[in-house]
Amino acid sequence: MLPRILIVDDEKGFTDILKLTLEATGKYQVQVENNPQHAVKMALQYRPHLILLDVIMPRMEGPDVAIEMRNDEKLKEIPIIFLTGTITEDEALEVGHKIGKHTFVSKPCHLEDLLNAIEEYILPFSD
Amino acid sequence: MADPNSIQYFEPISILIVEDNEIDHKVLEAMLSEAPPLISRLKTVSSLASAIKSLSSDQFDVVVLDLNLPDSRGQDTLKQLNKMYPDVAIVVNTGAYEDELGVKTLGFGAQDFLVKGKYSTYILNKTLRYAIERKRLEIELKQAYHKLKETQAELIQVEKMKVVGSLASGIAHEVKNPLAIILFGITYLSEQIKPKNKEVQLVFENIKEAIDRANNIISDLLNFSKINHLNKRKEDLNEVIEKSIMLVKHEAERSNVHINKNLDPNLPEVEIDRNRIEQVFINLFLNAIQAMPRGGTIKLKTYSHQIQKNTGEMSWIHDNGFKVGQRIVIACIEDQGCGIATEKINKVFDPFFTTRPTEGGVGLGLSVSKNIIDIHEGHIAIENQRKGGVRVSLAFKT
Repeated sequence: MLPRILIVDDEKGFTDILKLTLEATGKYQVQVENNPQHAVKMALQYRPHLILLDVIMPRMEGPDVAIEMRNDEKLKEIPIIFLTGTITEDEALEVGHKIGKHTFVSKPCHLEDLLNAIEEYILPFSD
Repeated sequence: MADPNSIQYFEPISILIVEDNEIDHKVLEAMLSEAPPLISRLKTVSSLASAIKSLSSDQFDVVVLDLNLPDSRGQDTLKQLNKMYPDVAIVVNTGAYEDELGVKTLGFGAQDFLVKGKYSTYILNKTLRYAIERKRLEIELKQAYHKLKETQAELIQVEKMKVVGSLASGIAHEVKNPLAIILFGITYLSEQIKPKNKEVQLVFENIKEAIDRANNIISDLLNFSKINHLNKRKEDLNEVIEKSIMLVKHEAERSNVHINKNLDPNLPEVEIDRNRIEQVFINLFLNAIQAMPRGGTIKLKTYSHQIQKNTGEMSWIHDNGFKVGQRIVIACIEDQGCGIATEKINKVFDPFFTTRPTEGGVGLGLSVSKNIIDIHEGHIAIENQRKGGVRVSLAFKT
Protein backbone atom coordinates (compact mmCIF):
# COMPACT_ATOMS: atom_id res chain seq x y z
CA MET A 1 0.00 0.00 0.00
CA LEU A 2 1.21 3.49 -0.86
CA PRO A 3 2.02 5.95 1.95
CA ARG A 4 -0.74 8.50 2.61
CA ILE A 5 -0.17 12.26 2.54
CA LEU A 6 -2.65 14.84 3.81
CA ILE A 7 -2.42 18.38 2.39
CA VAL A 8 -3.92 21.13 4.56
CA ASP A 9 -4.05 24.39 2.61
CA ASP A 10 -6.87 26.85 2.00
CA GLU A 11 -5.80 27.58 -1.61
CA LYS A 12 -7.90 25.10 -3.64
CA GLY A 13 -6.10 25.88 -6.93
CA PHE A 14 -2.83 24.92 -5.28
CA THR A 15 -4.04 21.77 -3.51
CA ASP A 16 -5.74 20.46 -6.70
CA ILE A 17 -2.48 20.68 -8.65
CA LEU A 18 -0.26 19.45 -5.79
CA LYS A 19 -2.50 16.39 -5.32
CA LEU A 20 -2.34 15.61 -9.04
CA THR A 21 1.43 16.16 -9.14
CA LEU A 22 2.18 13.96 -6.12
CA GLU A 23 -0.15 11.22 -7.26
CA ALA A 24 1.41 11.31 -10.73
CA THR A 25 4.70 10.16 -9.19
CA GLY A 26 2.94 6.86 -8.45
CA LYS A 27 4.45 6.83 -4.96
CA TYR A 28 1.75 8.32 -2.74
CA GLN A 29 -1.94 8.50 -2.01
CA VAL A 30 -3.07 12.05 -1.37
CA GLN A 31 -6.01 13.61 0.48
CA VAL A 32 -6.77 17.35 0.63
CA GLU A 33 -8.39 19.46 3.33
CA ASN A 34 -9.00 23.13 2.43
CA ASN A 35 -10.57 24.10 5.75
CA PRO A 36 -7.92 24.18 8.51
CA GLN A 37 -10.62 23.88 11.20
CA HIS A 38 -11.47 20.43 9.82
CA ALA A 39 -7.84 19.33 9.55
CA VAL A 40 -7.74 17.29 12.79
CA LYS A 41 -11.02 15.52 11.98
CA MET A 42 -9.75 14.67 8.49
CA ALA A 43 -6.43 13.42 9.87
CA LEU A 44 -8.18 11.14 12.38
CA GLN A 45 -10.26 9.74 9.57
CA TYR A 46 -7.52 9.42 6.90
CA ARG A 47 -4.56 8.50 9.20
CA PRO A 48 -1.85 9.99 6.96
CA HIS A 49 1.86 9.08 7.20
CA LEU A 50 2.73 12.72 6.59
CA ILE A 51 1.00 16.11 6.62
CA LEU A 52 1.84 19.02 4.33
CA LEU A 53 0.59 22.10 6.17
CA ASP A 54 0.23 25.69 4.98
CA VAL A 55 1.12 28.41 7.54
CA ILE A 56 -1.04 31.45 6.82
CA MET A 57 -4.67 30.46 6.43
CA PRO A 58 -7.91 32.23 7.31
CA ARG A 59 -9.88 31.10 10.41
CA MET A 60 -6.98 28.98 11.75
CA GLU A 61 -3.25 29.25 11.09
CA GLY A 62 -0.95 26.32 10.37
CA PRO A 63 0.96 26.35 13.69
CA ASP A 64 -2.36 26.16 15.58
CA VAL A 65 -3.39 23.16 13.49
CA ALA A 66 -0.01 21.57 14.33
CA ILE A 67 -0.53 22.17 18.08
CA GLU A 68 -3.95 20.51 17.95
CA MET A 69 -2.41 17.50 16.23
CA ARG A 70 0.38 17.28 18.84
CA ASN A 71 -2.26 17.29 21.57
CA ASP A 72 -4.05 14.34 20.05
CA GLU A 73 -2.74 10.93 21.15
CA LYS A 74 -3.55 9.35 17.77
CA LEU A 75 -1.99 12.12 15.66
CA LYS A 76 0.97 13.35 17.69
CA GLU A 77 3.57 11.14 15.99
CA ILE A 78 2.63 12.15 12.43
CA PRO A 79 5.42 14.26 10.88
CA ILE A 80 4.45 17.66 9.52
CA ILE A 81 6.12 19.63 6.73
CA PHE A 82 5.20 23.30 6.71
CA LEU A 83 4.77 24.41 3.13
CA THR A 84 4.85 28.19 3.28
CA GLY A 85 5.37 31.40 1.36
CA THR A 86 6.36 33.25 4.55
CA ILE A 87 9.99 32.17 4.34
CA THR A 88 12.23 32.48 1.32
CA GLU A 89 14.23 29.61 -0.12
CA ASP A 90 17.45 31.31 1.13
CA GLU A 91 16.10 31.42 4.67
CA ALA A 92 14.94 27.80 4.47
CA LEU A 93 18.42 26.80 3.24
CA GLU A 94 20.08 28.85 5.99
CA VAL A 95 18.46 26.71 8.68
CA GLY A 96 18.73 23.46 6.71
CA HIS A 97 14.97 23.51 6.14
CA LYS A 98 14.41 22.91 9.86
CA ILE A 99 13.20 25.21 12.58
CA GLY A 100 13.23 23.26 15.83
CA LYS A 101 11.78 19.83 15.04
CA HIS A 102 9.76 21.15 12.11
CA THR A 103 10.62 20.98 8.47
CA PHE A 104 9.92 24.02 6.33
CA VAL A 105 9.71 24.09 2.57
CA SER A 106 9.44 27.46 0.87
CA LYS A 107 6.51 28.04 -1.49
CA PRO A 108 6.90 28.07 -4.48
CA CYS A 109 9.51 25.35 -4.72
CA HIS A 110 10.58 22.89 -7.36
CA LEU A 111 8.86 19.52 -7.17
CA GLU A 112 12.21 17.81 -6.63
CA ASP A 113 12.87 19.79 -3.42
CA LEU A 114 9.44 18.94 -2.05
CA LEU A 115 9.85 15.25 -2.94
CA ASN A 116 13.23 15.16 -1.16
CA ALA A 117 11.65 16.57 2.00
CA ILE A 118 8.75 14.10 1.76
CA GLU A 119 11.06 11.10 1.21
CA GLU A 120 12.94 11.91 4.40
CA TYR A 121 9.80 11.05 6.37
CA ILE A 122 8.10 8.56 4.06
CA LEU A 123 11.05 6.17 3.64
CA PRO A 124 10.85 4.72 7.18
CA PHE A 125 7.15 3.92 6.56
CA SER A 126 7.64 2.24 3.23
CA ASP A 127 10.18 -0.20 4.70
CA MET B 1 26.62 78.75 33.36
CA ALA B 2 29.39 79.57 30.91
CA ASP B 3 29.81 77.32 27.85
CA PRO B 4 32.92 75.21 28.59
CA ASN B 5 33.97 75.51 24.92
CA SER B 6 33.87 79.28 24.81
CA ILE B 7 37.15 81.17 24.99
CA GLN B 8 37.66 82.82 28.38
CA TYR B 9 38.18 86.53 28.28
CA PHE B 10 41.63 86.33 29.82
CA GLU B 11 42.77 83.21 28.01
CA PRO B 12 45.78 83.88 25.72
CA ILE B 13 44.92 84.03 22.03
CA SER B 14 47.01 83.75 18.84
CA ILE B 15 46.76 86.58 16.31
CA LEU B 16 47.86 86.94 12.71
CA ILE B 17 48.12 90.54 11.47
CA VAL B 18 47.88 90.90 7.68
CA GLU B 19 48.89 94.49 6.96
CA ASP B 20 51.22 95.93 4.32
CA ASN B 21 51.36 99.43 5.76
CA GLU B 22 54.31 99.51 8.14
CA ILE B 23 52.91 102.27 10.36
CA ASP B 24 49.54 100.52 10.69
CA HIS B 25 50.99 97.19 11.72
CA LYS B 26 53.43 98.88 14.12
CA VAL B 27 50.45 100.65 15.76
CA LEU B 28 48.58 97.36 16.07
CA GLU B 29 51.58 95.50 17.47
CA ALA B 30 52.19 98.30 19.96
CA MET B 31 48.60 98.27 21.15
CA LEU B 32 48.55 94.48 21.46
CA SER B 33 51.87 94.46 23.30
CA GLU B 34 50.26 96.43 26.11
CA ALA B 35 48.65 93.19 27.24
CA PRO B 36 51.33 90.57 26.48
CA PRO B 37 50.13 87.77 28.82
CA LEU B 38 46.89 87.67 26.88
CA ILE B 39 48.55 86.87 23.57
CA SER B 40 50.10 83.46 23.06
CA ARG B 41 51.42 84.24 19.56
CA LEU B 42 51.53 87.34 17.39
CA LYS B 43 52.71 87.26 13.80
CA THR B 44 52.63 89.96 11.13
CA VAL B 45 52.68 89.37 7.37
CA SER B 46 52.19 91.86 4.54
CA SER B 47 50.51 89.93 1.70
CA LEU B 48 47.64 87.55 1.11
CA ALA B 49 50.04 84.85 -0.13
CA SER B 50 52.10 84.99 3.06
CA ALA B 51 48.89 85.03 5.16
CA ILE B 52 47.77 81.81 3.43
CA LYS B 53 51.19 80.28 4.02
CA SER B 54 51.11 81.17 7.74
CA LEU B 55 47.59 79.83 8.21
CA SER B 56 48.47 76.56 6.51
CA SER B 57 51.46 75.94 8.78
CA ASP B 58 50.25 77.43 12.10
CA GLN B 59 46.97 77.68 13.87
CA PHE B 60 45.65 81.18 14.68
CA ASP B 61 42.53 82.13 16.60
CA VAL B 62 41.97 85.37 14.74
CA VAL B 63 43.25 87.29 11.71
CA VAL B 64 43.35 91.13 11.67
CA LEU B 65 43.03 91.77 7.96
CA ASP B 66 43.77 94.83 5.86
CA LEU B 67 41.73 94.47 2.64
CA ASN B 68 44.13 96.26 0.32
CA LEU B 69 47.30 94.23 0.00
CA PRO B 70 49.94 94.14 -2.76
CA ASP B 71 48.57 90.85 -4.14
CA SER B 72 44.83 91.27 -3.49
CA ARG B 73 42.43 94.17 -3.13
CA GLY B 74 39.07 94.86 -1.51
CA GLN B 75 36.48 92.28 -0.63
CA ASP B 76 38.26 89.59 -2.69
CA THR B 77 40.97 89.46 -0.03
CA LEU B 78 38.39 88.62 2.62
CA LYS B 79 36.39 86.24 0.45
CA GLN B 80 39.45 84.25 -0.53
CA LEU B 81 40.78 83.92 3.01
CA ASN B 82 37.37 83.03 4.41
CA LYS B 83 36.85 80.39 1.73
CA MET B 84 40.20 78.75 2.40
CA TYR B 85 40.06 78.97 6.21
CA PRO B 86 36.38 79.00 7.17
CA ASP B 87 37.15 78.13 10.80
CA VAL B 88 39.38 81.15 11.56
CA ALA B 89 37.84 84.36 12.90
CA ILE B 90 38.56 87.46 10.77
CA VAL B 91 38.46 91.08 11.90
CA VAL B 92 38.81 93.55 9.01
CA ASN B 93 40.98 96.57 9.67
CA THR B 94 39.57 99.25 7.34
CA GLY B 95 40.88 102.69 6.54
CA ALA B 96 39.56 105.83 8.22
CA TYR B 97 36.03 106.88 7.17
CA GLU B 98 35.31 103.39 5.77
CA ASP B 99 32.62 102.40 8.28
CA GLU B 100 30.22 101.57 5.47
CA LEU B 101 32.73 99.19 3.86
CA GLY B 102 33.36 97.68 7.31
CA VAL B 103 29.68 96.82 7.75
CA LYS B 104 29.62 95.24 4.26
CA THR B 105 32.52 92.93 5.13
CA LEU B 106 30.33 91.27 7.78
CA GLY B 107 28.28 89.87 4.91
CA PHE B 108 31.38 88.35 3.34
CA GLY B 109 32.51 86.32 6.30
CA ALA B 110 34.22 88.82 8.67
CA GLN B 111 33.20 88.57 12.32
CA ASP B 112 33.83 92.26 13.01
CA PHE B 113 35.67 95.31 11.71
CA LEU B 114 37.88 98.03 13.13
CA VAL B 115 38.34 101.49 11.66
CA LYS B 116 41.97 102.55 11.71
CA GLY B 117 42.75 105.30 14.19
CA LYS B 118 39.39 105.03 15.90
CA TYR B 119 39.94 102.29 18.44
CA SER B 120 41.63 101.94 21.79
CA THR B 121 43.57 98.97 23.18
CA TYR B 122 40.48 98.05 25.15
CA ILE B 123 38.22 98.11 22.04
CA LEU B 124 40.81 96.18 20.00
CA ASN B 125 41.11 93.46 22.63
CA LYS B 126 37.35 93.22 23.07
CA THR B 127 36.74 93.10 19.27
CA LEU B 128 39.23 90.27 18.74
CA ARG B 129 37.80 88.15 21.55
CA TYR B 130 34.21 88.75 20.51
CA ALA B 131 35.14 87.80 16.92
CA ILE B 132 36.66 84.51 18.09
CA GLU B 133 33.57 83.75 20.13
CA ARG B 134 31.24 84.61 17.23
CA LYS B 135 33.21 82.35 14.91
CA ARG B 136 33.04 79.50 17.42
CA LEU B 137 29.27 79.88 17.71
CA GLU B 138 28.94 80.10 13.93
CA ILE B 139 30.82 76.79 13.54
CA GLU B 140 28.67 75.15 16.19
CA LEU B 141 25.53 76.39 14.49
CA LYS B 142 26.73 75.09 11.11
CA GLN B 143 27.49 71.68 12.61
CA ALA B 144 24.09 71.55 14.31
CA TYR B 145 22.38 72.50 11.03
CA HIS B 146 24.35 69.84 9.15
CA LYS B 147 23.46 67.22 11.76
CA LEU B 148 19.80 68.27 11.63
CA LYS B 149 19.75 67.96 7.84
CA GLU B 150 21.33 64.52 8.06
CA THR B 151 18.95 63.32 10.74
CA GLN B 152 16.04 64.61 8.67
CA ALA B 153 17.30 62.72 5.60
CA GLU B 154 17.77 59.55 7.69
CA LEU B 155 14.26 59.83 9.10
CA ILE B 156 12.81 60.17 5.61
CA GLN B 157 14.80 57.11 4.53
CA VAL B 158 13.63 55.09 7.57
CA GLU B 159 10.00 56.04 6.84
CA LYS B 160 10.39 55.02 3.20
CA MET B 161 11.86 51.69 4.27
CA LYS B 162 9.00 51.06 6.70
CA VAL B 163 6.36 51.72 4.06
CA VAL B 164 8.11 49.58 1.47
CA GLY B 165 8.73 46.87 4.08
CA SER B 166 5.11 46.46 5.10
CA LEU B 167 3.93 46.73 1.52
CA ALA B 168 6.52 44.17 0.44
CA SER B 169 5.64 41.42 2.91
CA GLY B 170 1.94 41.78 2.06
CA ILE B 171 2.51 41.57 -1.68
CA ALA B 172 5.08 38.80 -1.33
CA HIS B 173 2.72 36.44 0.41
CA GLU B 174 -0.15 37.10 -1.98
CA VAL B 175 2.03 36.49 -5.03
CA LYS B 176 3.79 33.35 -3.78
CA ASN B 177 0.65 31.18 -3.76
CA PRO B 178 -0.24 31.77 -7.43
CA LEU B 179 3.42 31.28 -8.33
CA ALA B 180 3.38 27.91 -6.56
CA ILE B 181 0.26 26.94 -8.51
CA ILE B 182 1.88 27.87 -11.82
CA LEU B 183 5.14 26.08 -10.99
CA PHE B 184 3.55 22.80 -9.89
CA GLY B 185 1.01 23.13 -12.72
CA ILE B 186 3.68 23.43 -15.36
CA THR B 187 5.70 20.59 -13.78
CA TYR B 188 2.63 18.37 -13.82
CA LEU B 189 1.73 19.25 -17.41
CA SER B 190 5.23 18.62 -18.72
CA GLU B 191 5.30 15.25 -16.93
CA GLN B 192 1.91 14.27 -18.38
CA ILE B 193 2.58 15.45 -21.92
CA LYS B 194 6.28 14.45 -21.95
CA PRO B 195 6.80 16.60 -25.04
CA LYS B 196 9.21 15.28 -27.63
CA ASN B 197 8.99 18.48 -29.65
CA LYS B 198 11.99 20.60 -28.59
CA GLU B 199 10.07 23.84 -29.01
CA VAL B 200 7.39 22.70 -26.55
CA GLN B 201 10.11 21.65 -24.10
CA LEU B 202 11.68 25.08 -24.49
CA VAL B 203 8.36 26.78 -23.70
CA PHE B 204 8.03 24.74 -20.49
CA GLU B 205 11.60 25.59 -19.48
CA ASN B 206 11.05 29.30 -20.20
CA ILE B 207 7.93 29.33 -18.05
CA LYS B 208 9.81 27.68 -15.19
CA GLU B 209 12.66 30.19 -15.48
CA ALA B 210 10.20 33.07 -15.48
CA ILE B 211 8.61 31.73 -12.29
CA ASP B 212 12.05 31.45 -10.67
CA ARG B 213 12.80 35.03 -11.63
CA ALA B 214 9.52 36.32 -10.24
CA ASN B 215 10.10 34.27 -7.08
CA ASN B 216 13.58 35.80 -6.66
CA ILE B 217 12.13 39.30 -6.85
CA ILE B 218 9.50 38.38 -4.29
CA SER B 219 12.16 36.85 -2.05
CA ASP B 220 14.16 40.10 -2.28
CA LEU B 221 11.07 41.97 -1.17
CA LEU B 222 10.56 39.60 1.75
CA ASN B 223 14.23 39.82 2.78
CA PHE B 224 13.95 43.59 2.56
CA SER B 225 11.11 43.69 5.05
CA LYS B 226 12.70 41.20 7.42
CA ILE B 227 16.13 42.68 8.11
CA ASN B 228 15.69 43.53 11.74
CA HIS B 229 17.76 41.08 13.76
CA LEU B 230 21.35 39.99 13.35
CA ASN B 231 23.30 36.92 14.28
CA LYS B 232 26.61 38.70 14.98
CA ARG B 233 29.93 36.97 15.59
CA LYS B 234 33.59 37.97 15.36
CA GLU B 235 34.56 37.23 11.76
CA ASP B 236 37.44 37.68 9.35
CA LEU B 237 36.02 40.03 6.71
CA ASN B 238 38.44 38.67 4.09
CA GLU B 239 36.94 35.19 4.48
CA VAL B 240 33.42 36.55 4.03
CA ILE B 241 34.55 38.41 0.91
CA GLU B 242 36.28 35.29 -0.52
CA LYS B 243 33.06 33.31 -0.06
CA SER B 244 31.04 36.03 -1.80
CA ILE B 245 33.54 36.06 -4.69
CA MET B 246 33.16 32.31 -5.01
CA LEU B 247 29.41 32.72 -5.36
CA VAL B 248 29.66 35.35 -8.11
CA LYS B 249 32.63 33.73 -9.87
CA HIS B 250 30.51 32.13 -12.55
CA GLU B 251 28.71 35.41 -13.29
CA ALA B 252 32.05 37.27 -13.47
CA GLU B 253 33.61 34.74 -15.83
CA ARG B 254 30.56 34.82 -18.07
CA SER B 255 30.87 38.60 -18.36
CA ASN B 256 34.64 38.46 -18.78
CA VAL B 257 35.19 40.38 -15.54
CA HIS B 258 38.35 39.81 -13.55
CA ILE B 259 38.48 40.45 -9.78
CA ASN B 260 41.78 41.94 -8.66
CA LYS B 261 42.16 41.35 -4.90
CA ASN B 262 44.35 43.24 -2.49
CA LEU B 263 43.25 41.91 0.91
CA ASP B 264 45.17 42.87 4.04
CA PRO B 265 46.13 39.56 5.74
CA ASN B 266 46.41 41.29 9.14
CA LEU B 267 42.87 42.62 9.19
CA PRO B 268 41.39 42.80 12.71
CA GLU B 269 38.19 40.78 13.21
CA VAL B 270 34.84 42.53 12.87
CA GLU B 271 31.58 41.70 14.60
CA ILE B 272 29.12 40.94 11.83
CA ASP B 273 26.29 38.70 10.71
CA ARG B 274 28.19 36.69 8.16
CA ASN B 275 25.21 35.79 5.97
CA ARG B 276 23.95 39.36 5.80
CA ILE B 277 27.35 40.83 4.96
CA GLU B 278 27.88 38.13 2.35
CA GLN B 279 24.56 39.24 0.83
CA VAL B 280 25.90 42.82 0.70
CA PHE B 281 29.14 41.84 -1.04
CA ILE B 282 27.37 39.56 -3.53
CA ASN B 283 25.04 42.42 -4.37
CA LEU B 284 27.92 44.89 -4.78
CA PHE B 285 29.93 42.47 -6.94
CA LEU B 286 26.91 41.77 -9.15
CA ASN B 287 26.33 45.51 -9.56
CA ALA B 288 29.98 45.98 -10.54
CA ILE B 289 29.84 43.05 -13.00
CA GLN B 290 26.64 44.40 -14.57
CA ALA B 291 28.25 47.84 -14.88
CA MET B 292 30.86 46.32 -17.23
CA PRO B 293 28.92 44.42 -19.91
CA ARG B 294 32.00 44.30 -22.15
CA GLY B 295 34.24 42.98 -19.39
CA GLY B 296 36.81 44.69 -17.21
CA THR B 297 38.40 44.54 -13.77
CA ILE B 298 36.92 44.91 -10.31
CA LYS B 299 39.53 46.22 -7.89
CA LEU B 300 38.94 45.02 -4.38
CA LYS B 301 40.89 46.19 -1.36
CA THR B 302 40.62 45.69 2.39
CA TYR B 303 42.62 47.47 5.06
CA SER B 304 42.34 48.69 8.61
CA HIS B 305 42.61 52.30 9.58
CA GLN B 306 42.97 54.17 12.83
CA ILE B 307 40.80 57.28 12.72
CA GLN B 308 42.76 60.51 12.94
CA LYS B 309 41.52 63.99 13.76
CA ASN B 310 41.97 65.18 10.19
CA THR B 311 40.51 62.53 7.95
CA GLY B 312 40.70 64.49 4.68
CA GLU B 313 38.69 62.67 2.01
CA MET B 314 37.35 60.28 4.64
CA SER B 315 35.60 63.05 6.59
CA TRP B 316 32.34 61.01 6.45
CA ILE B 317 33.84 58.85 9.20
CA HIS B 318 33.11 61.50 11.85
CA ASP B 319 29.48 61.78 10.78
CA ASN B 320 28.88 58.09 11.34
CA GLY B 321 29.55 57.67 15.02
CA PHE B 322 33.15 56.54 14.53
CA LYS B 323 35.51 58.11 17.05
CA VAL B 324 39.04 59.50 16.79
CA GLY B 325 41.53 56.77 17.79
CA GLN B 326 39.11 53.96 16.90
CA ARG B 327 40.32 51.25 14.50
CA ILE B 328 37.97 50.44 11.64
CA VAL B 329 38.07 47.95 8.78
CA ILE B 330 37.46 49.28 5.30
CA ALA B 331 36.58 47.42 2.11
CA CYS B 332 36.69 49.22 -1.26
CA ILE B 333 35.20 47.92 -4.48
CA GLU B 334 36.00 49.78 -7.69
CA ASP B 335 34.60 49.02 -11.12
CA GLN B 336 35.48 50.33 -14.58
CA GLY B 337 31.90 50.97 -15.69
CA CYS B 338 30.42 54.25 -16.81
CA GLY B 339 29.60 55.48 -13.30
CA ILE B 340 26.32 56.92 -12.04
CA ALA B 341 24.85 60.19 -13.36
CA THR B 342 25.55 63.02 -10.88
CA GLU B 343 21.85 63.81 -10.45
CA LYS B 344 21.16 60.18 -9.57
CA ILE B 345 24.01 59.37 -7.20
CA ASN B 346 22.13 60.67 -4.14
CA LYS B 347 19.23 58.36 -4.90
CA VAL B 348 21.04 55.05 -5.20
CA PHE B 349 20.00 53.93 -1.71
CA ASP B 350 16.32 54.72 -2.28
CA PRO B 351 14.10 51.63 -2.49
CA PHE B 352 13.11 50.85 -6.10
CA PHE B 353 15.73 53.19 -7.56
CA THR B 354 17.52 51.40 -10.39
CA THR B 355 19.90 52.36 -13.16
CA ARG B 356 18.96 49.19 -15.05
CA PRO B 357 15.17 49.24 -15.44
CA THR B 358 15.32 47.64 -18.87
CA GLU B 359 17.53 44.80 -17.68
CA GLY B 360 15.18 43.70 -14.95
CA GLY B 361 16.74 45.63 -12.05
CA VAL B 362 14.15 46.05 -9.29
CA GLY B 363 16.13 48.61 -7.30
CA LEU B 364 16.20 46.88 -3.95
CA GLY B 365 19.79 45.61 -3.80
CA LEU B 366 21.49 48.78 -2.63
CA SER B 367 18.75 49.85 -0.23
CA VAL B 368 18.83 46.38 1.32
CA SER B 369 22.63 46.58 1.50
CA LYS B 370 22.50 49.99 3.17
CA ASN B 371 19.93 48.71 5.62
CA ILE B 372 22.19 45.79 6.53
CA ILE B 373 25.26 48.03 6.96
CA ASP B 374 23.24 50.54 9.01
CA ILE B 375 22.08 47.93 11.49
CA HIS B 376 25.73 46.86 11.84
CA GLU B 377 26.44 50.53 12.74
CA GLY B 378 28.82 50.61 9.80
CA HIS B 379 28.95 52.90 6.81
CA ILE B 380 28.50 52.51 3.06
CA ALA B 381 29.46 55.25 0.60
CA ILE B 382 29.13 55.29 -3.18
CA GLU B 383 30.96 57.74 -5.38
CA ASN B 384 32.07 58.17 -8.96
CA GLN B 385 35.82 57.89 -9.41
CA ARG B 386 37.71 60.63 -11.23
CA LYS B 387 39.17 58.06 -13.61
CA GLY B 388 35.67 56.66 -14.31
CA GLY B 389 33.61 53.88 -12.73
CA VAL B 390 32.12 53.65 -9.28
CA ARG B 391 33.84 53.19 -5.93
CA VAL B 392 31.89 51.65 -3.05
CA SER B 393 33.48 51.96 0.39
CA LEU B 394 32.30 49.99 3.39
CA ALA B 395 33.48 50.68 6.94
CA PHE B 396 33.05 48.36 9.92
CA LYS B 397 33.79 48.84 13.61
CA THR B 398 36.33 46.45 15.13
